[in-house]
Amino acid sequence: MVSVEIVKRYPGFTLDVSWRAEKSVVGLFGPSGAGKTLTLQCLAGLIRPDAGRIVVDDRVFFDAAASIDLPPQQRRIGYVFQGYALFPHLTVEENVAFGLRDRPRAERLRRSAEVIERLGLGGLELRYPRELSGGQRQRVALGRALAIDPALLLLDEPLSALDVPLRRTLRDELRETLRGFETAAVVVTHDFTEAYRLADRIVVYESGRVIQSAPRAELLWQPASEAVARIMGLANVLRGTVVKATPERIQIGWRGQTLEAVNSPTRSYLPPPDSPIAFFIRPEYVRLIRKDRGAPDPQHHMNLMSGRLVGEADFGTVWTLRLRLDAPGAPAQGDFDLEVEVPHLVYEILEIDRDRHWQLSIHRGSIHVLPA
Amino acid sequence: MDWFPVWLSLRVALTATALTLLAGVPTALLLARKRFPGRNVLEAMVVLPLVLPPTVLGYYLLVVIGSRGPVGRALAAIGVEFAFTWGAAVLAACVGSIALVIKSAQAGFETVDRQLEQAARTLGRSEWSVFWSVTLPLAWRSVLAGAVLAFCRALGEFGITLMVAGNIPGRTQTLPLAIYDRVQAAQMGEANALALIAVAVVVVLLFGLSRLARLRY
Repeated sequence: MVSVEIVKRYPGFTLDVSWRAEKSVVGLFGPSGAGKTLTLQCLAGLIRPDAGRIVVDDRVFFDAAASIDLPPQQRRIGYVFQGYALFPHLTVEENVAFGLRDRPRAERLRRSAEVIERLGLGGLELRYPRELSGGQRQRVALGRALAIDPALLLLDEPLSALDVPLRRTLRDELRETLRGFETAAVVVTHDFTEAYRLADRIVVYESGRVIQSAPRAELLWQPASEAVARIMGLANVLRGTVVKATPERIQIGWRGQTLEAVNSPTRSYLPPPDSPIAFFIRPEYVRLIRKDRGAPDPQHHMNLMSGRLVGEADFGTVWTLRLRLDAPGAPAQGDFDLEVEVPHLVYEILEIDRDRHWQLSIHRGSIHVLPA
Repeated sequence: MDWFPVWLSLRVALTATALTLLAGVPTALLLARKRFPGRNVLEAMVVLPLVLPPTVLGYYLLVVIGSRGPVGRALAAIGVEFAFTWGAAVLAACVGSIALVIKSAQAGFETVDRQLEQAARTLGRSEWSVFWSVTLPLAWRSVLAGAVLAFCRALGEFGITLMVAGNIPGRTQTLPLAIYDRVQAAQMGEANALALIAVAVVVVLLFGLSRLARLRY
């Protein structure tokens, strides 16, 4: 169990966060400069908060009120630094065994050999960090932190030092390692996919505050606010006006029409009519209506609208289309209203390169309301 | 030829180098790692011996350790005469050379990534252990370079030594003073021999240093 409650003031920046997590992997997610790394440093005892309390597995690391502040040496925390901070003058074996100095020699050798073996570093024991690849360095840093059998593992942007092709492989490998060692861990990242892949619970940071803390699936489908949706990098984060809200449905006035959305099943949200409301539409859930299948059926095609393509981008296997609705008035997102994502195959079948005007529909379950 | 000045100078320079390392390395670490009130004053004081005329430094030292100075009198009370002994020559060499140890070691420590020290702390190492197993191994070349420069400077120390230790043949006459004496006495042969010895020692040391600097860690 990890419980963090800290305040740290700097000129022009205040970190004031509070979150808890059970024994699992927690992802601290948010833009750079939001205070994620600072939180790790406070957890590790490298920076002393001005106020608050940090408890890990019933051990109080820090408690301003009780004047408790365990030095980093006594916290037994495995810290994987951004860029890894491997000791350049020590071999892989010496790096991994660095935190085991107080143990008897036989145990030290056994433990470092075990970690080296489990992380697939066998054969590299006598290499120096400069002789290793990026992925190997990451594993050495991980091994060095895991060797001390940490109460908590901290990983600061563990994949950012790697080349893109390697990142995905190592992300999944890292996930397996974290599960395998059954260590509670806190992973800092500014990449949502990375946070989602690695963490069970995600804590969203913005300028020194926590704006949502939720299990990853909940975060994915129910961001708590417009700010969270924007930090997650979601497309089609839009603003409309409430027409009518019931526990099941919310009707939203947007671009001269009324959209129907499903209200959140877990947090029924009942804003009064005419109040502003934010919502988002996942671009892959917008359906283009085929013209060769007759007129659209309002029963099957909810939230029907029509628009013209004003831009498109080819991402290889998928195409991102930008559509401007036929409705009068200024477009919602600069020069377009909606971003729509279609697989490459669909793009070819529908001959979208020749046909630029489309009717589209959005299922009410694909319009997600963002509470204010 | 009288070998006494050679041995005395080597002994004085070695002792002074050991003492400057002992006092200079912690000072360098302090300057490289900590922000504290008076840090700028300390930094300025460290450089002072490099820029002040040696005779001025010697004069002030003599004021302090001479028979009428505060330290001199305290020492005299316990029966120790410090000024004009080889110990005073060591002090002179220390004052003249400690800045070289401090500045060089400080520059070395500043290049050591603090994150490495933090990593060592999270891995359970005490501050003492962090220094010996991370900071020093990564900065030893700068510390050694500072020590070699300090040794060479101590070997050649003239002005301060003359003021506080005098130029007593067979007692405090170091190599540079002896060379000066021989030249004054027009004994050019001996002056030449002594000068060559000084050059040889320094050249060998600096050559060795440049070889060592090529090693990794």
